[in-house]
Amino acid sequence: MKTSAANRAVTAMLDSLCGKHLQGKEEVLRLAVIALLAGGHILIEDLPGLGKTTIALALASSTGLSFGRVQCTSDLLPSDITGLSVFRRDEGNFSFLPGPIFNNIVLLDEINRAMPRTQSAMLEAMEEQRVTVEGVTHALPDPFMVLATQNPSDQSGTFPLPESQLDRFLICTGVGYPPDDLEKEIIARGGIRERISGITSVASAADIIAARRTVAEQVYLSGKLVDYIHALVAATRCHAMIQAGLSTRAAINLAQAARAAAFLEGRDFVAPEDVKGVVASVCAHRLVLRPEHDAADRRLLLREIVAGIVLPM
Amino acid sequence: MTPLSPLIAVLSYVIALCGIVPLYPWLDLLPRLFLAAGMSAGIWQDRRGAWPLKNWMLNASIVPLFLYYAAQFSRFNAVQPVVSMLAVMLAVRLLGEKSGRHYLQIQSLSLFCLASSSLFDLSPSFLLYLTLLLLLAALSLVLLTFQAHDSRMTLSSRDLRRVLAAGLLIPLAALPLLVFFFPLLPRTQLPLWNLLAAPASRPSGFSDKVETGGSSNVGDSSQLVFRAELSRLPQQLYWRGTVFNRLSGQRWVRDAAVPAERIVYGTERVSQVIYPEPALSRNLLALDAAAEIRAIRVKRSADGVYELPLVSGRRQNYQAESSSRGMLPVKGSIDRDFYLLLPETVPARIRSLAAEIRGRADSDQGRLTLLEDYFRNGNFRYGKQGLPTGEHALEQFLFESRQGHCEFFASGFAVLARAAGVPTRLVGGYLGGEYNDLGGYYLVSEQMAHVWVEVFIDGKGWLRIDPSSFAVNSGAIWGVRQPAGLVKRLRMVLDSFDHAWNRSVITYDLERQIEVARHAGKWLQAFRAERVLNSVFRPLMALAAVVGIALVLTNRRRLLLSAQERLLRGFYRRVARDCGIQAQPGSVGLFELAEQSGNHRVRTFADIYAAAVYRDRRLTREELLVLKRLLREGFNPPS
Repeated sequence: MKTSAANRAVTAMLDSLCGKHLQGKEEVLRLAVIALLAGGHILIEDLPGLGKTTIALALASSTGLSFGRVQCTSDLLPSDITGLSVFRRDEGNFSFLPGPIFNNIVLLDEINRAMPRTQSAMLEAMEEQRVTVEGVTHALPDPFMVLATQNPSDQSGTFPLPESQLDRFLICTGVGYPPDDLEKEIIARGGIRERISGITSVASAADIIAARRTVAEQVYLSGKLVDYIHALVAATRCHAMIQAGLSTRAAINLAQAARAAAFLEGRDFVAPEDVKGVVASVCAHRLVLRPEHDAADRRLLLREIVAGIVLPM
Repeated sequence: MTPLSPLIAVLSYVIALCGIVPLYPWLDLLPRLFLAAGMSAGIWQDRRGAWPLKNWMLNASIVPLFLYYAAQFSRFNAVQPVVSMLAVMLAVRLLGEKSGRHYLQIQSLSLFCLASSSLFDLSPSFLLYLTLLLLLAALSLVLLTFQAHDSRMTLSSRDLRRVLAAGLLIPLAALPLLVFFFPLLPRTQLPLWNLLAAPASRPSGFSDKVETGGSSNVGDSSQLVFRAELSRLPQQLYWRGTVFNRLSGQRWVRDAAVPAERIVYGTERVSQVIYPEPALSRNLLALDAAAEIRAIRVKRSADGVYELPLVSGRRQNYQAESSSRGMLPVKGSIDRDFYLLLPETVPARIRSLAAEIRGRADSDQGRLTLLEDYFRNGNFRYGKQGLPTGEHALEQFLFESRQGHCEFFASGFAVLARAAGVPTRLVGGYLGGEYNDLGGYYLVSEQMAHVWVEVFIDGKGWLRIDPSSFAVNSGAIWGVRQPAGLVKRLRMVLDSFDHAWNRSVITYDLERQIEVARHAGKWLQAFRAERVLNSVFRPLMALAAVVGIALVLTNRRRLLLSAQERLLRGFYRRVARDCGIQAQPGSVGLFELAEQSGNHRVRTFADIYAAAVYRDRRLTREELLVLKRLLREGFNPPS
């Protein structure tokens, strides 16, 4: 298989993360890697204390990518993220001090605590992959992935992200509680935060970039799968419970994520299962339900819709 | 882009015309004026786009008219008021501003108008108008549904064509049903509107009396009297209708007390079916002379005249058997005195001529020959102008002017013959007929009305003599056959269509229905399945094969599973049997199934199969072999 070299590096990284360091977080890690490979960003939405930050740290250190972190608060300013120009008295000029966003993997912790103004500045940077400060445009490093975390929005003092900005995240997922015995083990051993710095990187940035290129160029998306994705998107648009169905961007992202998922499975073509595997994480946060059904579980709804579409074979 | 509203308006006017045109000739002046005014004002206002008169005003204004017509309605005048009211209502609808509801009203009123025109006249053009109206109504209904959705809708020419095609398809799809239902639907034996069925009286060449000297001119009417279906005959055709057996004054009439006589018809019969046009005559016509006429309640007199008890006025065809030899043999004797009777007023000149003839021969035959010679050598001319009139018309004709039409010839001949002692009677009917090759029938019109005589020869019977044929110009009138010009041929084609319409639609009644059923029954009894099968088997099989191949070719992707699809089904069956996972192709994916089963052979199959399918390529021969082997061996092979 052509993808083998890049594939080996990435899967080895994933295996080492899951097996050694972050037991019980396989699904989140897999989705994070998918986001990384597809060139998207991931939003992890769960209660505090379930290991969101740990996941981000572990991912960064195991890939050997640089890591930046922004802890969002309501008084956080855009320049706190992007960086700012400072006057160097010794040199007699202004020089640009890059902010934490100039890293390969950026953790935006509790993004919904930041003001909308700051949120939108960050999201713009995510979309454009560059930052303009005082008239000078600075390109962000490649690969670049934002790993945002968010507490469920019913907590006080938060600015929930609007749908248009949620749409910019390739994947939105929860973490969930670890299985009972694993949790007991974690309780017994304590957290792994302090050990994260000791994680040796398994894949390099070059590996990640190569894998990204492979995902984008060599994983084949059949016309049948395009039809399947289109049928899926179309089905959400005429569903009784859904006010606004999936956008074309959602469909593009679904295809990208499916390619990355197929790559992780070691295939050079996308199978319907790849789409099915990522559809809930890629699409659920983009659905706008009718007000009367707002409490419904979007992931469940999506799975129902998917079950109603005939797989291409 | 075509806006719909003007299109619907135009369609509605054409539909209204389809209802108005056939009814118009039968309407009174007032509704006629209403219709003309309503139509033109409606079109004008539609063009202008302004309707100063509101619909409620119009509706209210015709209430007095409605009351007027309601007052006129009676058992004897039932149709005219109703039809007039219909016409007025249609006129008002055409005049007013039109919404979808009004267009529908125009359509239904037009249909009612067309239907009511059939109470007056049922010509084949009714079918034309009805077809046109139904087609256009269906079209306009389809357009109206669009207009109801959006009154300012415009359609591109492509969409419009599709809409029009759909609108036309609706009535066309109903056509086979029409053919199926026409023979089946219940019919009445009698016309529904008996009262109306009697047509307006018209001048007839054939009447119940023959009177010479009534007028100096005789009109020619080409009005159709009847059609007779029979094969073409070489001889001159005499259609016998009635017999005038008594001369009273100047006038030959029919004495209802016909003396008894026994006519012996020959066994060589000509069978014919006569389709008379509705008329006021009770006489049934047939080729001279009818041995038998089969019709309901027909009454035969001793002298071979067939009559109906009442003027029915409806179209009713009948079958007649004639033995046509120009001679009616009579068995036994006849009442000679009755057929020799003459009134006192017969002029002396006629009597003296007759006496001379009587003196020169003593047998009926001899006297007849002398009479014929008198006419043949008398330089008589046949003509319809400058006829003698008045009390002495007959005398003038015989001795002076020597010009007259058939009534003069026949009457003169009969009077002379009777005075000479030869029993004679006048026969009224028609002479000749135009043969329509297309329909296989003779057309007989009013202008062919004719009168001739029958002379009794003792020992033989009644001999048909046509005195008009003794005229010097008779050959020019009856002998020449007109060349069949284009116009005439066209007329014949149209007429055969008319005849077919009358035959198969108008006179199609319960009797014919039963006949059709009986024919069908007979046909079924005589039906030999093997024979029919033998003859149609090969072409049928060939056709079925062609159709079958065409169907398979067009649906081959659906009908014939590709090798891949067969494999896939086999795979799911195998998984169900070997791994106990019931799944339908299309609901559970290949890799999911491999995952669920945890079987490496299933996994192998899924890998190979999916690699081909999801890369949009066909399975290679080797892959196919591997997959087939996997399926054959099963997923849990005994290792």
